[in-house]
Amino acid sequence: MTPNTHERLNSVVRALSEVVLPHLPPEASLAQEQVQLCIGQLQILGAQLDAIPAYEREELDDAIAIAKALSGISGGPETQAAQTALAASVDSADGRDVREQRKAINTAVETLVHATSADGDDESKSALTAIILEYEHARAQKDRAWFAPFGFDTL
Amino acid sequence: MTTTVEMESIYKKILDRRTANRDLPPYRAALSTEITDLLAGFFKKEKPGATVSGVRRVGGGASKEQFFFTLSDNGTDTQYLLRMDPRIAITETDREREHILLQAMDGVVPVPKTAWVDPNADFFPQSAAIMHVVDGVTKPSDSGVKVTGLGTYLGEDLRAKLRDQFLDYLVAIHAFDWRTANLPTFEAPDADPKQAARWSFNYWREIWRLDEGETRPIMALAEQWLANNMPDCDDLCMTHGDYRTGNYLFDEDTGEITAMLDWELARIGDFHEDLGWILMQVFGTIENGTFRASDLFEREEFIREYEKRSGRTVNRKTLHYYDILSSWKAYIIVGANGPAAARSQHNHQDVLLTFLATTIPMFADDLVRLLGQEEPK
Repeated sequence: MTPNTHERLNSVVRALSEVVLPHLPPEASLAQEQVQLCIGQLQILGAQLDAIPAYEREELDDAIAIAKALSGISGGPETQAAQTALAASVDSADGRDVREQRKAINTAVETLVHATSADGDDESKSALTAIILEYEHARAQKDRAWFAPFGFDTL
Repeated sequence: MTTTVEMESIYKKILDRRTANRDLPPYRAALSTEITDLLAGFFKKEKPGATVSGVRRVGGGASKEQFFFTLSDNGTDTQYLLRMDPRIAITETDREREHILLQAMDGVVPVPKTAWVDPNADFFPQSAAIMHVVDGVTKPSDSGVKVTGLGTYLGEDLRAKLRDQFLDYLVAIHAFDWRTANLPTFEAPDADPKQAARWSFNYWREIWRLDEGETRPIMALAEQWLANNMPDCDDLCMTHGDYRTGNYLFDEDTGEITAMLDWELARIGDFHEDLGWILMQVFGTIENGTFRASDLFEREEFIREYEKRSGRTVNRKTLHYYDILSSWKAYIIVGANGPAAARSQHNHQDVLLTFLATTIPMFADDLVRLLGQEEPK
């Protein structure tokens, strides 16, 4: 048995809210702001904690999905080389390091975007834009919902 | 190493400074007692016999460390504001350039006045400026605790008082005769019609790379689209760079704007760049389904009024370009510049920077929406 993570986080939030914050002098404006932001960050992290692994796995799955959807994009040598690199990044995405693997796929997609602009055929250029807009629209909605508790979003 | 990419010279220096500062030790927020000692030492040289008291930190904002203080000299007490850069800021800028422009803009629009400037950190730990204090607030006192400027709600009464001033001052800035003004460090992108757009694009793309922003497909697509579709500019003017509610002071009772703030991103460029920034959804409000830029104007109303008052014609295709550039740039600021400052522990409010980074999806979604729109003719 290990100490419950939520209880540990909640205890920090309570200490910051009820012990530290009230004892900060009124003139310590930066300290007050920072403590309030810390409390907010910790509360949201606590609320999301159990869902983080699934969220990050889904980010990787979505990156793999967009990469596979882009596999039909064709063009000259630059585009072909970018496709080879993108396929390799997808093949090596086994889910063991979801953040790094997502990053590798997104970087390979970036290279493909630039390569297609350089020597992709016209049909592929349009298709690439349409695919990215479709998949990124869906991804952005998920991300906006995930970060909505921070209070900036008008979603 | 200085970038070989084409941009205004000052921005190359700014990128060099940001690169060099990355190797410095961590930075922590200055204590009021430390600032008191610093100011006392500064004025011992600048104004022998003067004394410093009442140093207190100014809250809000995401970029500078700011402190009010009183300088007593020959029986007179005067309030000043110290603005000091952290070691790495969410927006990396130049204090001397800001000082030069504030002097030039004095009398054109209401601006704070600089009393002293230490652009190269000869005395202060980082570059700093000491400003005369201007009365006013950046948001209504009952608007809650949101970070200044992001979706500030002004309400009907203040909106009616502020909107004409907001627009007229923008028009005045764009009409400013920069060609005859003394503006060292300001260079005009007049080598060819696309240079204004190119300089802006190049700078932000370089700092995105420098700060190791994590790419995603929509950012790659936006970058490529911006590189491929740069508009011509045949009407170079002074741009403010961060013109929005939150970046001006106003008297809460009368609604009079007392100072336009945050000139640090100003440059000679395309007025559409200011319009695109002002019209970004994140800086506005949505009330009953109606979007208002800076909570002051609906989009078409703003464009129409700007054209009427400035005598300029807004090119919809160019504005579309700068709409996209604005969201791409905002993504870079919150998604790369802020996190890089926090990661390197070179800022005084890392936790705010990582908080702001959660707005990334809003800008990603903006880019999806904008790049999916039919391009205006």
